[in-house]
Amino acid sequence: MTEPTLLQMTAPLREDFAIPYHEFGPAAEPLQVALVAGLHGNELNGIFVLSRLAEYLRRVGDGRQPGQELTGRVIVVPAVNVLGVNTRSRRWPFDKTDINRMFPGYDRGETTQRIANAVFQLTRRAHHRIDIHSSNGDFEEVPQIRLYEPSEDERASAMLFGLPAVIERTTDNVFTSTLGHAWHGTGGENFVIQAGRAGDLQLSHCERLFRALMAFLHHSGIVTGMQLAAEDQDTHYFPLGQTFPLISDYAGLFVSHVQVGAWLQTGDLIGHVYDAFIGELRAELRAPVGGLLSGIRRQPLLYEGDLIARLQTRAPVAGWSAAVTGQEQ
Amino acid sequence: MHIEQDSIVTLQLPYREALHLRRTTFRGGDGPRVAVVAGIHGDELEGLYVCHRLAAWLEHLAEVQPQALRGRVDLIPAMNPLGIDTLERFVPVFDADLNRNFPGDAQGLLPQRLAAAAMQALSGAALVIDVHASNIFLREIPQVRINQAFAGTLVPLAQGMNLDLIWLHGAVTVLEATIAHSLNSQGTPCLVVEMGVGMRITPSFTEQLLLGIVNVWRQLGVLSADLTLAPPTHVPLIADDGNVHYLNADRSGLFVPSIEHWMAVRAGERLGSIVSPHHGGVLAEVSSPVDGVLFTLREYPAVYEGSLLARIMATGAA
Repeated sequence: MTEPTLLQMTAPLREDFAIPYHEFGPAAEPLQVALVAGLHGNELNGIFVLSRLAEYLRRVGDGRQPGQELTGRVIVVPAVNVLGVNTRSRRWPFDKTDINRMFPGYDRGETTQRIANAVFQLTRRAHHRIDIHSSNGDFEEVPQIRLYEPSEDERASAMLFGLPAVIERTTDNVFTSTLGHAWHGTGGENFVIQAGRAGDLQLSHCERLFRALMAFLHHSGIVTGMQLAAEDQDTHYFPLGQTFPLISDYAGLFVSHVQVGAWLQTGDLIGHVYDAFIGELRAELRAPVGGLLSGIRRQPLLYEGDLIARLQTRAPVAGWSAAVTGQEQ
Repeated sequence: MHIEQDSIVTLQLPYREALHLRRTTFRGGDGPRVAVVAGIHGDELEGLYVCHRLAAWLEHLAEVQPQALRGRVDLIPAMNPLGIDTLERFVPVFDADLNRNFPGDAQGLLPQRLAAAAMQALSGAALVIDVHASNIFLREIPQVRINQAFAGTLVPLAQGMNLDLIWLHGAVTVLEATIAHSLNSQGTPCLVVEMGVGMRITPSFTEQLLLGIVNVWRQLGVLSADLTLAPPTHVPLIADDGNVHYLNADRSGLFVPSIEHWMAVRAGERLGSIVSPHHGGVLAEVSSPVDGVLFTLREYPAVYEGSLLARIMATGAA
């Protein structure tokens, strides 16, 4: 099996390397979907799910899924930051730049600008484009779709995945250099998916994400003849104004039992902060508003101002903020 | 003259310790206030040494001619203290580029709190100088970088800084999150100095910049007009996006320069070669595309395809 590559490059010492991808579906049909993961080499949920999805789509393409058929072409890039995956690094390991801060890229520029350019040129022709991330190693996100200044078509299509949350977010200056932002400027329908936490696999999130991508391929008619398993729980749509970040006023050790995806009432316990030297309880953290717990801190060591959790509220809430903070996506 | 040290913000760390953003202040009269900041990237040390030399210069002034300080000087040598203490370019733990977190947020994450505290401390100054030292990959001739949008205010100040180059660059959205853009947008003039290389200090560049800074301070009235100073020795060239040429590696390997930094080069002149450690041959020759001056030269030998090797400012007719 020789797979296509989106970029080939020499290396200072090791062998020449390539960024391979998968392409499925009838060659004569237009490119319908581009799925990208592993722009950050330590975000493993998306890499695992896309490699598994590629295995499924190959079976469909080979006629090994009776009754199922691809009506358009699909591109799957399980990992862009290949060297980063192999060295467990979020960033491009050589110069420590973040590939998802290099878009739309430049074919004559720095190494990661060249990589970004190759990814963008390959995927921009697809009508539906999906970029899958995990949070960083400190935070766990319930599988969710993030939309930035979405079109009505994007709002509607985002619901087809059946993920627990579709969340509209604001973008800041730094995020103008992401793949999602570059896609946004070229029309089509664009989705950034966040699932779980970097540095590890969370299998329940992977399964949820896999089902979501299958559901999207089914509902959008790209794969026909698919029998979907029982429907997942409801998908909730959260416009701007319905994301509440819980910030810690304390440093110390954060300890929590709660699970992402839970619906919390105002006052429900989220966790405790302890002084890490004398062991005293510093604070008991309770939900300041009710809502879906879309993300929770998993890193115990806590600085002042760290994000503890995000709650998605059923109605607009004072103190909301949907800005992306820190090293996410 | 009064000299004092304080912390502009203190943040608790998870286990026992606290992070202090330290400042040294030299107070003279009621004249203008200026500041020098450095160490936003933890691997850039040139600016820390600049602060040391400025402190030594001011302490000497306090002994011999204290009334010559008419205004106030703030030195913040280590904007990213955790990065410097742990030999990391970014803010450790947060893996965040502090110079992409401005103007910051006093209620935000630690990098945003540092940024917000710095903005509050620096806002309203007559001039802030933000000293950078490139990175570990590239060596830079002493230069000032100015966003075209602020050229009217900043170029006249930069002209007196005794540096070799003023580089006027276009607006880039990502760079709006820098300390310089944030201060300049608020009307506090901020000059970005780039010089030397990461993880090293270059004392000759420091002395060159020191002479420029004290001359500009005298011009601003921070130092008394009758204070005798050696005059600037360097006149900057003006580079912009139209005359700066980038040389990126065509092949991965080891880059070995065959030319000194800050030299005049001719079109077609060989600048170095990219070689393989696996065999004795040359993978690629690197030559200048134009007549010009080499103001950026790669310091770190290993290169990937695309790695920047040099920047040349064209000096010939277009």
